[in-house]
Parts: sequence; C-alpha cells; structure tokens
Amino acid sequence: MTKIDFKTAGPFIALVALFILGIFVNDAFLSAGNVSNILARSSFIGIVAIGATFVITTGGIDLSVGSMAAFISGCMILLMNALMATIDSLVTIIFLAIVASAAIGGLAGMINGLLTTKAKIEAFIVTLGTMGIYRSLVTYMADGGTLSLNFTLGDVYSEVYYGTLFGLPYPVWVFLAVAVIGYVLLNMTVFGRHCFAVGSNESVAHYSAINVDRVKTATYILQGLCVSIATIIYVPRLGSASGQTGILWELEAIAAVIIGGTMLKGGYGRIGGTVVGALILTLIGNILNLTDAVSNYLNGAVQGVIVIVAVYLQRGAWRAKD
Amino acid sequence: MVQVANGDAANKAMAITSQESQVEAPPHDSLLAVKNLKKSYGEIEVLHGIDFDLRRGEVHAILGENGAGKSTLVKCLSGFEARNDGHLYVNTKQEFSGSDNSVVPSIMTDNADTAQSIAARDWTHASAEAAGVVLIHQEFNLAEQLSVAENIFLGSELCGKGLASLFLDKKKMNDLSRDYLATLHCTIDPTTLVSSLSVADKQMVEIAKTLAKDARVLILDEPTAVLTQKESTALFELIDRLRGRGVGIIYISHKLEEIERIADRITVIRDGDLVGCYPAATLSKDDMARLMVGRELSSLYPKVPAPDELASVALSIHGLHVAGVSAPENFELRRGEILAFSGLVGSGRTALFETLVGLRPAQLGSESKIFVHGEEVRLNSFTDARAHGVAYLTKDRKGSGLLLNKGLRENFSLYALAHFAGIIIDTRAEQSAFEKAVDRFDIRMRDTGVVAGNLSGGNQQKLLLAKMLETTPDIVIVDEPTRGIDIGTKSQIYHFLAELAAAGKAVIIISSDMSEVIGMAHRVAVMHQGNIVGVLSGNEITEHEIMRYATGLKAAAA
Amino acid sequence: MTNNEMKAVRAHSASGSLGEILCLSSLFAGTVINTVCKFAKHSILTLAASSLLLAVAPTLRAQTIGVSIPAATHGWAGGLNFHAEQTKARLEAANPGLKVVLVTANSASEQANDLEDLVAIHRMDALVILPFESAPLTGPVRNTKRRGVFVTVVDRGLSEPGIHDVYVAGNNAEMGRVSGEYIKERLDGNGKIVVLRGMPTVIDEQRFDGFMSALEGSNIEVLDDQYANWNRDDGFTVMQDFLSRFSEIDAVWAQDDDIAIGVIQAVRQARRQEELFIVGGGGMKDIVKRVLDGDELTPVDVLYPPSMISTAMELTALKLISDTPIEGEYILGSPLITRENAEDYYFPDSPF
Repeated sequence: MTKIDFKTAGPFIALVALFILGIFVNDAFLSAGNVSNILARSSFIGIVAIGATFVITTGGIDLSVGSMAAFISGCMILLMNALMATIDSLVTIIFLAIVASAAIGGLAGMINGLLTTKAKIEAFIVTLGTMGIYRSLVTYMADGGTLSLNFTLGDVYSEVYYGTLFGLPYPVWVFLAVAVIGYVLLNMTVFGRHCFAVGSNESVAHYSAINVDRVKTATYILQGLCVSIATIIYVPRLGSASGQTGILWELEAIAAVIIGGTMLKGGYGRIGGTVVGALILTLIGNILNLTDAVSNYLNGAVQGVIVIVAVYLQRGAWRAKD
Repeated sequence: MVQVANGDAANKAMAITSQESQVEAPPHDSLLAVKNLKKSYGEIEVLHGIDFDLRRGEVHAILGENGAGKSTLVKCLSGFEARNDGHLYVNTKQEFSGSDNSVVPSIMTDNADTAQSIAARDWTHASAEAAGVVLIHQEFNLAEQLSVAENIFLGSELCGKGLASLFLDKKKMNDLSRDYLATLHCTIDPTTLVSSLSVADKQMVEIAKTLAKDARVLILDEPTAVLTQKESTALFELIDRLRGRGVGIIYISHKLEEIERIADRITVIRDGDLVGCYPAATLSKDDMARLMVGRELSSLYPKVPAPDELASVALSIHGLHVAGVSAPENFELRRGEILAFSGLVGSGRTALFETLVGLRPAQLGSESKIFVHGEEVRLNSFTDARAHGVAYLTKDRKGSGLLLNKGLRENFSLYALAHFAGIIIDTRAEQSAFEKAVDRFDIRMRDTGVVAGNLSGGNQQKLLLAKMLETTPDIVIVDEPTRGIDIGTKSQIYHFLAELAAAGKAVIIISSDMSEVIGMAHRVAVMHQGNIVGVLSGNEITEHEIMRYATGLKAAAA
Repeated sequence: MTNNEMKAVRAHSASGSLGEILCLSSLFAGTVINTVCKFAKHSILTLAASSLLLAVAPTLRAQTIGVSIPAATHGWAGGLNFHAEQTKARLEAANPGLKVVLVTANSASEQANDLEDLVAIHRMDALVILPFESAPLTGPVRNTKRRGVFVTVVDRGLSEPGIHDVYVAGNNAEMGRVSGEYIKERLDGNGKIVVLRGMPTVIDEQRFDGFMSALEGSNIEVLDDQYANWNRDDGFTVMQDFLSRFSEIDAVWAQDDDIAIGVIQAVRQARRQEELFIVGGGGMKDIVKRVLDGDELTPVDVLYPPSMISTAMELTALKLISDTPIEGEYILGSPLITRENAEDYYFPDSPF
C-alpha cells in the first residue's frame, strides 16, 4: 500500500519540515545545547499529553491537568521543606516526595473519574471545577506568592532535571519510557481495546460486557499519574511553585494530542502522534525565538495557526471522502 | 419489461434474464424511469444495467437479498448517489434546476428520440426533491430537540410578510403541519418535541415532511421494520390514500406478506442484475423467495430435533421481575431446547431479559432466583452472565451491537478478548479465530478494509453472532435475530441456531415474527404487558393461539 | 475469504502500527542528532548551514549581551521595555562589534527557557536580567553564570548572594521610607491608612519594610495591606474592598503609579475623594502631571525609574568593550516628587 496515510504520517512529516526550517533559520539550532533543550522542554507537556491521549480516546477530557501540576508541586515543596527538620538523608526526602506526588496525582485522577462516572457529571464540567479548585488551593498554600524549595535540597534534586544519561537529559528518558508504556498499554492490551470501544460507542461497550465506568475512571487515574511524573521532573527545574505554575498546560497537552491525530470525539488514539505533537509545539516556540522575523508576542498566534492547519490537513474537506 | 399472466410465472421468470429486456422508450404515464442504469463504487460495479419504471398511482415493490443492490438503486433514483451510466427520465411535471442552475424540464414523450434523459450531474438530491422524488430513509432524519412542525419545515421555513419577514411564521407552520398530519390520520400536536415521540409517530412525521415537499414519488425503505401491526396497517391505509392521489410509491421490504398485500408490480434484483418485473398478482411468496435467491431454497426453517426428554435443565428462573413493571416470572429451559418469547412490540421481553443478564442491574427484584445448570447464581452485571456461560445478543445491532466505524476483527474479538490475551493481546490467535468465524458464519464483505458499518444488515448480524458465540456460551439468548434481513441470510441464521440447539445449548429466541417463532421453537412463551401469559408447546403453537395470548384476549390458568 | 484478502487485511493493520512506531522513534532520532552535533562540530551539515547563513548575514561573531526582562504586563514594565529597546538601538549604533539580544517573558518558566536559548543559541557573553520572580530564577541564573557569562541583575534580586557580578536597582527601602515619612508628616503622626502592595517579591518586602520603619513611633494605624500585583485592575478591586470595609480612611499608600490609577477610579466611584490622599510610586507621567497641576488627591509621587534598565545595559556594555572596572551594586536614589520639582521628572514621550 503506497498511498500516503496522512493520519499517521502527517504529524511526522510536519515535524521533519519544522526541523528543516529550524536548521535553515539559524545554524545555532543544531547546537549542542539547543536540541537537548527542546527535547527536555517537550517532556513535561509530552508526558501529560500521553495521559490525556487515554482520556480523550475514551471520549473524556481533563481540563484540570495544569492546576493539578501546580497543586502537586506545591504539596511536594511543602512536604520536602517540612521534612528537612526531621530527616537527614536528602535523597530519602526527595524519594518520599516522589511517592507523595504519585499518591496525590492518582487520587486527584480518581476523583475526576468518579465524579464523571458515578455522579454522571460531564467531564468538561468536572475538570473545569477541579481546575479552579486546585489552582486556588496552591495560591492559598503559597499565600498569593511563591513556594520555594530549600536550596540545599534544590541542589541535590536539580540533578533530576539537569542531569544527563548518554548525552540525553533524564526528563527525555522518562518521556520515552512513559511513551513506550503508553503505546503498549493502548495498542496491545485488553485495557487498550476497551478504551477504544468505550470511546467509539459506550452502549456497544456495555453490551460487550465491558465495565465502562471502570475503564473511564482508570484513564483519569492514568492521567493523574502522568501529571505526577511530569511534576516530579518539573519541580527541580525552578524549585518553586506558585499560582502561575502550569498555566495553560491543559490546552497545550490537548493540542499536542489533537495534532498527533487522536480525535476529540473519542474512539481513536495515537500515542506516537502525541509524542510528535508535543515536539512540534515546543519546536514552534523555539524557532520563533530564533528569528526576529516574527515578534515574540505573536508566539501564541503562530501556535494557534499551526494547530488549525495541522488538523485541517488531517481531516479537512480537501481529502477524498473515505 | 416482461409481461407474464399465469401461474407458471415463476418458472418462466427464472428463465428470463436481464439481457432479454428490450430497450425501449418508457411509457409516457410513468412518473420516473431508468434504463440500463449502472453504478460502481470505485472499481467495483454494483448495478449492472437495471431497467425500472414507476407509474402514476402505483405501488412498485423492489425485492432482493441484502447486498443485491436495492438501496443503491433507490439512492440513484432519488439523487443521493450519482449513477455512472444509463438514462433517467422524470415526468412529474415539476421544474427543477440542474447543476448549472438552468431549468431542466421534466417531461417525457412517446417518442424515444425526444424523451429527454436527465444527466447524472443534474440529478442531485436537491433537484430530485424539487422534482418531487423523495426518499424516506430507514434511519430517521429528524432533529430530536426540535418540534414536529419545525422538523417538517426544516430547510424550508416560512416567514412572515413585509416587516415580519425577518421572523418565522410559527403559527402558519404549525397550522400547515396539523393539516399534513391530518391527511395521514395522525393527531400528533405539531408543537411536541420529536424526542418524545414513539418510533411509529416519528415515521409519520417523516412522511408528513414529504407531503410538505409535495412529493410525487415516494420511496420507502423498510418502513415497517419498527412498526407494530396496528401501525403498519395505518401506514398501508395511508399508502392507499396517496395512491388515490396519483402518487407513485416505491416500496422496499423483506416482509413478503406485506408485498403480497400492497404491491401492484414487483421488481426482483439479484447481485446487481435485474431478474425481472412482474405483476404482483402472479407471484406467490414462494415464487418471490425463489426469484430473490435464484436457487431452490431448501426449507427456510431447519428441522430441529426435539430436545432429549432426559436433558438437564440449563436455566431456571423463579420470581424474576422488572421492578415496578411486571409481576414475578418463572420459566425453565432444558439443554438442546429452543424457547421462543413472542408478543407484541412493547410487551416487555427485551426489558425482562436485559434485566436477567445484568445489563440493567438495579431493577432486579430481591426475591428473584436464577439457576444455571442447577446452581444458583447472581447476575449482577453482564460480566457475571458471561462468566456463567449466558450470552445475550442485542436487537439493536447498529447502536449497541457493533462498533460501526471499527474493523471487523476488532468487533469480532471485543466480547471474548480475554481468550486472546495474557498481558498483551495475541493478535495472531485473534486473527486465526476471526478467519475461522468468517468461514463458519459465512460473513461476506465488499473488500478487506471495511468497517462494520459498511456491511449489509445480514452480514452485520452474522458478525454479531460470531462475536457473542466466541466465548462458547451454554445459554444463548437472541433478541430479534432476523430483523431487517433478507431471506437468504435469515435461513442461514436459522440453521446456525438449530446447530446450537443440536449441540446441546439452550436457546431463547425473542421474536415478533410469527412465522419465525412457529418455524423454530419447541415451546413458545407469550408475553403481554410485561407478564408471561401463556406457554405453548407442540400442536398448540399456532398463529391464532399466539395472537390471542399476545393481545391479552386469553390468559393461562393461574 | 481468500488468502489474498486475508493477507491484505493483515497488511492494512500492520501499516497503522508501523506509523505509530515511527512517531515514537522520533525521540530516539533526537538523541542521535544531539549526539552527532555534540561530537561533530565541523560536520558537513553545520558547515553547509553556516556557510548558507554567512552568505545571508555578513556579521561575524560579535560580542553579545543578552537582555531578559518581563513582558509588558503592567505600566512600569511597559516603560522598562521602552527604555530597553531605546538603549539597545543606541548601543548597537555606537558599537559595531556589539550585539544586543532582547527577549521578554510572560512567566518564570518562560524566562528560564529564554536563558537557555540565550546561552545555547545566541552564545551571549553577558547577561542583563530583571527576574520575573526571585526564587525560581536563582537556579537558572546560577547555571548561566557557571558557563562563564557576566551577570548583571536589575531591580529584583536573586534569592542567593554571590551569583551576580553587578546589581542595579532603585532604592526600594528608601522609596518606602520616603513615602512613609511623607504620610507621617502630612497626617501629623495620627490617622488610619491602607496599604496596597505589589507582587510577593524581594523588592516588595524591602519597600514595605522601609515604609513601616518610617511609621514607627507614630500613631498611624495601618488598617490592612493587600497585594495588588502592580496593575490597575487589581488596584481597583482591592481599593473597592477597602472602601467597603473601612468607613474612615485618611490616606492610601499605593506604592506604584499603576496601582494608584486603579485606586483613583475606585475612590472616585465611591465619592470619597475629599476624605483621603494617595501616594503612588514610580514616576508615571500621568501621575507626575497631576502632581504638577497640584491635584489634591495625588499631592506627591516617589521616583522609581524603569530606565534603570538603561543604566544596567550601559554598564554591562562598558564592561565588555573596555577595561573599565564594573562590579558591585549601583543603587539609584528615590526622591520625593512634589509640585515644586515635578517639572524635572516629567517625560511626556515615555510610555510610562
């Protein structure tokens, strides 16, 4: 079959095109630091977006991820600062914070899931509500300001973000691992098939003995865990959390998922596409920084245009009807 | 056109093929005619040159198996699909505009040379409607959240005069709607929301829409599939009235009794070819079936051996009831037995069984007991039912049975996924099981990349059967297994069900098709308004008896 | 189904997953490219790219100053951006061997991104930075310093000492103190006031502490203080709430002229202009004009110029192109602007 399947190939072609554009625009694009920076920066949105791929494939949506990230960061920092007094080993403190992060993320995801399935409230509304709650909680915790991680702790912890393994920053390895696990889970397990079925037609899933509520809740918990992982590698970057942390992450994550080819209506999910989508979004910002041709203030506009073009190319009217 | 006039029609007809149809000008009292119509989807030709014409005031039925090309033909006739070759003539005396907005006259004459064929690109859905040719789909095209009147005038809303032309003239639309519905002897209030109407009423609204469009040719595709006897009768009366006004009706249905009753002429299509066109009076139901299938149909219903007297009881129900709806039910089913549940549409059979298998968990009464192979079980969810070997096939194969936009293999394995998976799904095992099922159930597809929605109704049903039987259940409950399916596939499905019984499974068939019930079941339980009012066996199973129970005229002794 | 049909079905589904795996592997591709770049600086690719670029942009590698400031989210920052751009143009025109790259950020993490890019892409020799927030930017600036970049910090200090080479700021403590002293004098040591603060940063703390120390020993009661984030919308809503809560207010310390504008609107709306007066800060031309015209509501202002970014940039440029010793802290003064001297501080061309 030599026909170009735009649905899967499209995002990848776009990524390559952007990459070539970057090289052309500034020779420093290929510099030692820059590619590594791009990959590391895309990891946060990328990991969150992989969780979002599951949620969107089953027909749901989660708007609270950015606020959840802010909230988890705040909790982690408070916990770590508090433990400084009682525990000597810095590594233990960091480890405990990681466990706490996973627990909070999973719990937050479960709350989103249960409210959507058992209380039968629309996912959009539930996560809109939790979005507001988490953000305001973290603002409260920070007293309107910023929560800062103790500097000695910060030094040790920052290795997680700034350190590298075989030349690639740790965050990218984590992103890769999450992507691979996500791919296997969605495409090769029973759970993944159930996700596709639930997103396609909940009634059919129900009549095929699939526990629809459980599948949906599981995807929200997965999303929460992904947010936890992203936060764990994000906190060491700046060592701070405030009401401004993670703003608009949810929209960027959803944009990455959509650019990658997953459909908002559900029933169709592409993990590989999500990875490419996250890379594309980060690349756009980076390329715009490289050139003076477009004012920095128009970053958001350019990103918006590219998202629309990407989706149009995937399924616009110009393609022959399937 | 082939004219036959005696009882040997069937034999004659079988010998006559489409090549012998003469190509001549259509008679000038035809409303709509096509000659040598050809249609292809991509590389595949699905209609190989069909001749068809419809006269004023006639009911012309189109018969054929699923996939024979009936739907494609009527879509070409009504402009929803563009034909690839052939001539189309329209004589409704209404003007409409062609693809370049020029006016296309729709008049035919006696002379073949001057009869004007309408070009394929001019014959769109919009121009067809403008010419008065209207198709009523099987699935309704109604906006659920709008009222009846709003739906009737959707797309051709009426506005006030003068200054008020910015606003809708709701009063006028409501009044006109009331009039249209009155012609149909329908008393629905035009301001009611469509979502609150029954299926039969929705169909009335669809037909009222066509009256609003001043239809001269009405094409009905399986209109009685979802109607009760009474509603169907009302529809037939309406068809009579429309005929009287000179409207021509094209009628597609699998229910041979109906066609026998209302059709004037019958056109039979097989595998995209025209078999022939016959006056309805000359064909019996057997003739029709034979023409459609093209071979000697061995008996439609297989011989099902009576269940072994000593066979164990597979399923036993005590005190089951749907909370708030019916009184507690008891019944029993042995291995190798086929028990049919008959009754009028709406008698509560689906509700009863969906509750039984755990699809509607909350409604099970507390005193109900279910015994599978003698062991008491609680079926709190559909998963429990599967675990205990009880399978239920939904009657809504498109809405709840199959994922229409997913591939066939994915659909096939969805219910039995656990059989193919440890942590990871073994796609090779899945594929080979799928291939086996396609063979066993004779599932046919146009090409390999199709999704379930592309299959014909019959093949969809066979796929659903394959899907739910993959877990080798002991007790199989099928709900309306042959609704909207052609004779050939029906027969196949009956044979599959008979095989199941012969293999020692216990089978329950829920059906509103009387002949199916009589032909297949060992025993028949009849339900009326949520209760089992009678259980018939052996010679008691007659249409008359079943009807009396179903309509509540008779109730079993307590 | 024929064998061929079955094969086609299988191939169809395989190509889908192949596409997926291709996408996943783009991450690996990134690694490969990155490694290649690290160890093959003179590869054909970069040669080709750079020669292409050379053909287009004739400048050789110049000395580069990176300037990283917050985006113009409030009035003072607008003035900041204006002066930064003016100074960039002036410096580049006067020094052909000097390149100034100006970037603005909307959040702390965006500014951290900008720093990374300034190092990796523009390979700056010196950095002039006004941190969005002190704590989160301390780490990234320290990393920049480690790469051998000369660091000038403006206005908002970092959370840790010893990182910056030069620190240029207004005198926040003095600004607070001057404001406090004026209020104390004007109210004769007795009265009720409300305080609107900026964003929770080091400089806000310094101003507040300076202000409070000036009030020590007097009977002035601070009814409440709230953060107004240095913008007029927040100033408006905060002042509205104060007016509702407190029936008696003698004076308002708005601390910043943008906030003061919002406060003025709120006070006008509540019709309590006669009851109180407002002390702003910064030197915004609208407020200075009012002082000049003798407005009762805003009798004075306190200088805190956004043009301090120019001072920082000039100093840094001087360091790069000459041997002049530049090191340490340069603190600009914060005089009180009154009707008498307002003329000197009125710049109608500036956006601030």
